[in-house]
Amino acid sequence: MLYRTSGQFKTTYRADQALFPIRQDAFLLGVILLFAWVILPFTASEFAFQTLLIPVLIYALAATGLNILTGYAGQLSLGTGAFMGVGAYACYKMITIFPEMNLLLAVLMSGFFSAGVGVMFGLPSLRIKGFYLAIATLAAQFFLIWLFEKWAWLYNYNASGAIQVPNVDIFGIAVAGPLASSQTQYYFVLIVVTLLTILTINLTRGSLGRSWKAVRDMDIAAELIGINLLKAKLMAFAVSSYIVGVSGALFVFLWRGAAEPNLFDIELSFRVLFIAIIGGLGSILGNYLGAILIVALPVILNTVPGVIGLEIKSATVEHINVMIVGALIVFFLIVEPHGLARLWALIREKLIIWPFPH
Amino acid sequence: MKHFKTLALAGAVAAMGVGPVLAQEIYAPNLSYRTGPFAATGIPLMNGQKDYIEMLNARDGGIGGVAINFDECETGYSTEKGVECYERTKERAVVTQPWSTGITLQVLPKTNVDQIPILAPGYGFSPMSDGKTFQWAFNPPASYWDGMSMILQEISGGDLSSLAGKKIAHLHLDHPYGKEPLPLLEAMGEAHGFEVLPIPVGISEMQNQSAQWLQIRRERPDYVIMWGWGAMNAGAITEAVKTRYPMDQFIGVWWSGHSDDLQLVGEDGKGYRAISWSLPNPDAPVMADIRTHVFDKGKSLAGEEELNEVFYGRGVIISAILAEGIRVAQEMHGTGEISAAHLRDGLANLNFSAERIDELGLTGMMAPFSTNCADHTGHSGGWMIEWDGSAFVQASDLLSADRAAIEPLEAEKAAEYAAANAPWPMNEACEAM
Repeated sequence: MLYRTSGQFKTTYRADQALFPIRQDAFLLGVILLFAWVILPFTASEFAFQTLLIPVLIYALAATGLNILTGYAGQLSLGTGAFMGVGAYACYKMITIFPEMNLLLAVLMSGFFSAGVGVMFGLPSLRIKGFYLAIATLAAQFFLIWLFEKWAWLYNYNASGAIQVPNVDIFGIAVAGPLASSQTQYYFVLIVVTLLTILTINLTRGSLGRSWKAVRDMDIAAELIGINLLKAKLMAFAVSSYIVGVSGALFVFLWRGAAEPNLFDIELSFRVLFIAIIGGLGSILGNYLGAILIVALPVILNTVPGVIGLEIKSATVEHINVMIVGALIVFFLIVEPHGLARLWALIREKLIIWPFPH
Repeated sequence: MKHFKTLALAGAVAAMGVGPVLAQEIYAPNLSYRTGPFAATGIPLMNGQKDYIEMLNARDGGIGGVAINFDECETGYSTEKGVECYERTKERAVVTQPWSTGITLQVLPKTNVDQIPILAPGYGFSPMSDGKTFQWAFNPPASYWDGMSMILQEISGGDLSSLAGKKIAHLHLDHPYGKEPLPLLEAMGEAHGFEVLPIPVGISEMQNQSAQWLQIRRERPDYVIMWGWGAMNAGAITEAVKTRYPMDQFIGVWWSGHSDDLQLVGEDGKGYRAISWSLPNPDAPVMADIRTHVFDKGKSLAGEEELNEVFYGRGVIISAILAEGIRVAQEMHGTGEISAAHLRDGLANLNFSAERIDELGLTGMMAPFSTNCADHTGHSGGWMIEWDGSAFVQASDLLSADRAAIEPLEAEKAAEYAAANAPWPMNEACEAM
């Protein structure tokens, strides 16, 4: 009923190939964007900014980066956390060496460093596939963490081995460091995430995205129809690592404020991988849904007992929380193995033909 | 989007429900970790802290007639959860007890903006001792650098130059916490001519330290100093027993003096020492009060044996420091229901004299110390505790840190921190003492 498509005629090919050919989709997106850009920033509390809005956006961006590599190009990677670290350390070094540098520029440039590292570790993908490639990226994970610990230049010889975000301002407004307000940080993150999401959607719909999908589905066939495997795979590693690197810079500069090497350990890689898998491999929307489930839901669940007035010990809440989120992950993957994005697609299809079953 | 609506609704309900209670309590949250890889060491500490406050609430109706709402927020020692807890509690909290050097580092820069004091007894960033720079951070009664200095004095017999030509290994968790004392140890090594050998243990290899102990066997250091935590302590002690490293040359920091870790090796661990600013004293009056008001009523989460442990006693002292800070703040500002800013004044004017310690019933559990606006640590000193095969016993007189050697380094690192975080407000009104 809500999703009735009758009466929406396409008179040009252009209209038929638009990003949102159905009017209701565009409307829904408009509402979400309105919430994200206008309503939430003015109504959210400090707590909501710091534990829900900003982390969801940053994790969704990291998952988008990984999804390009794993979901679109079919190359399994377990090194996401380390690539985020490369972005974060690159941004830290740029900001401390050139304190005058615009943070937006630094964040966007830090992606290039991780792209470079990503391509280097992507080279084995030309010879090995699947689980074997995952092990090769695992090597990147361990090597880079080791490097972050041992190369003291990276953290400016700080005694505790951690990096700490200095106060950074753009045109007199504090955007990073302890003086920055959460609202400014949120807008900064939102701008970068929106920009990169638009870029990603267009990339995956374009010829590059199509060559990635061809490589994912069968690389020999892709090679036979004239796709340069070397170029396609390495581009996937470069674009993916770029986005992951930017998300790493945002992760430390716009959210955490400080980081030690262990932060980028394998747990972070797995977390991002779970977001991508549960959200749905090969979809952009899925990254956001996955991030809401994995990042925001536990925080919300933690507040529930307090709100309904139940006296439960904090440690018990934590245990229950882990169980609920785990059960939900199992539930969603049984109901729809292709992730939340596919679940939404099915619901949408049903809505379009409602009330008829077929 | 639905989530945010429910959350907003939840927030409104919570605000309404909590409103009236606020008038008669002090909200003192604790970022505890009863889950995760470090839970074994966390639980006795958290229990000690909680039981002391509950005892005060039951015996005296709180502090100055105002009940203390001692709320725990579970972090599992994860910095991410820690920041979530900090954001959740900061609206009403008078204090932040971060319970991890990582969380302390994250929260420290925000203290000047949010104006909530950090209380990190015996952990955190050693230069926090400089109250002029770190106006909102407190790490009484001793910092890690104090601890390192005391250990060096004990092994050198009071004269550091006797260590010349020796080799000292620093076996540490590869984490901000473990690296914390290295600058001091290296500076001392240079000044007194002994060799420092840092041996890091990664978080993933805590339980299997064969590589590190192989290195120790090869290098044969004269002493091994350990900055370990959680599973790393037990791992190191069992490896030391296996490689037959002489236990009397193996010394840990206060977080490495956990009875459970030594219980694993029992008699073989005899002679292992750790520096500690707290001593367990089952006969102290405060322990009797905790038994009558909390433990015997079944309100404690601790087990019978736990009450006599080093870590439980230390938890009690940590809460006693907080409680004393609240009491001083109430007296200074003439109000029962103090704010975060009031508590800062309280924590900066602690005076744990020998008489006051007896008055509080903490006899024989801690050493006297006092804080002021320039010195946020107090530097109480500490004792060596030695494993006798079944329990930790006091093994030295009160040691005190060589402050003359530490102070220049503290001032240097504090200034570095302030410069890296410019603009950083300094408390100019406060004269260094």
